[in-house]
Amino acid sequence: MADTVPPGRYSGKRDIRTDAVNYAIELGAIEKTFAGHQVLKKVSLRVKQGEVCSIIGPSGAGKSTLLRCVNLLEQPDGGNMVVAGQYLAAGRSHPRRELLQLRRNVGMVFQSFNLFPHLTVLENIVLPQRRVLKLSAEEARERGAELLKRVGLAEKADAYPAKISGGQQQRVAIARALALEPKVMLFDEPTSALDPELAQEVLAVMKEVAASGMTMLVVTHEMGFARTIGDHLVVMEDGAIIEQGVPEEVMTNPSEERTRKFLSAVNR
Amino acid sequence: MIALQTNTFEFWAKYFPQLLAGLGVSLQLTALALLFGLPLGLLLALGTEAKLRAVRWLSVAVVEVGRGAPALVVLYVVYFGLPLLSWSPEAFICAVIGLTYTTAAYTSEYLRGGLKAVNPGSVEAAHALAMTSGDVLRFVVIPQGLRVAVPALMGFAIQIFQATSLAYSITVSELTANASGIASSSFRALEIFALAGLMYAAITVPTSWLTNKVEERLTLRQ
Repeated sequence: MADTVPPGRYSGKRDIRTDAVNYAIELGAIEKTFAGHQVLKKVSLRVKQGEVCSIIGPSGAGKSTLLRCVNLLEQPDGGNMVVAGQYLAAGRSHPRRELLQLRRNVGMVFQSFNLFPHLTVLENIVLPQRRVLKLSAEEARERGAELLKRVGLAEKADAYPAKISGGQQQRVAIARALALEPKVMLFDEPTSALDPELAQEVLAVMKEVAASGMTMLVVTHEMGFARTIGDHLVVMEDGAIIEQGVPEEVMTNPSEERTRKFLSAVNR
Repeated sequence: MIALQTNTFEFWAKYFPQLLAGLGVSLQLTALALLFGLPLGLLLALGTEAKLRAVRWLSVAVVEVGRGAPALVVLYVVYFGLPLLSWSPEAFICAVIGLTYTTAAYTSEYLRGGLKAVNPGSVEAAHALAMTSGDVLRFVVIPQGLRVAVPALMGFAIQIFQATSLAYSITVSELTANASGIASSSFRALEIFALAGLMYAAITVPTSWLTNKVEERLTLRQ
């Protein structure tokens, strides 16, 4: 469990896979400490290509920090990882090119949506395509409109984020992330700030994204989503993975007492 | 005395063109001070938040001197100082340089406040979307920060417009200088300065009103 990813399985440049199993994300003994408090204690995790992996656990367990380490919004202090075929070791600052390459492959959706408030819904989706993919304005708008249609918000293209509901904002945020055609999507409690009704419309979009074959790592409190859409369930507590497996099995028959306690608390 | 025989309105009508020319110069000074001062203010705002300590300290020093020294003192330093560096531009240019510096120093504080008010989540999202740091600044941080700072900047524009009257002291023929000249030749200071005051107000009052409107609109959108 606590092993780093063996470098031997990568070719000379260490960013091309040479073994048979296709993992979209491999985390090896990731460590992170904030002000003397160890938030992640050598966490290792593998997510297969096209798999939906849900991470649950009490707040303060380090779920969000782990997710943020995957696209290096947080710099891990120890360990290494392979994300979408790119090898990254902790404990050194990453060159700009490496960071941008990683983030092009990894989309992220935040709890607080984080749309650009000064841009319209469509402009939110157009901007990264223009600047990152270097698409023409016309092409970016066309693709943006298509993505808005996909998340059911074609008619909101010209609205400003403040004028639409939280659920709609989150669907726009998903469309914005998808616009870069990432290989992996990270969701950091995407429905926690939403009323149940609005959460459902976001979950419906996530379900559709999952069905399209996207590899997804989802920190969530939505047990229904983790159970029905998720392929793999990870339970974290106190900076470590305490249990993982097939969602149905973990949920109905947890092997750890702490998992049982957590599940009974959220299902109450 | 012939001048005393005309009533106030005839007197105003006679000298209005001369004051209007002065107002034109005041407005030009304001426009140029803002045109050069605002981009400099933005650079200083970014400089005070720079990672490099030398850049930070230099920016803070430039801002603090500019805010600490009265605009009039800055004008004198430019007007009498530049010839010592063997460059003697005309008074109007000196006024533009001095007012630009004052504008840059003051607006940098408003802009810095605006940049600090930018929603950090949207900045993080931009980074997560693989945008370069330069792009994040240009397309996410600065546009949002500017919007926050706009009402304060418009208020400052009104102040710097009024401060252009200080250019009188370094012989620029702006509105106050022209009014003063007319006052000393006609001995009707109260009337001519009343007209000058009305002309200043004709610019500042609508601008303040516009500032309030803009502030309202920006608040509504948030």
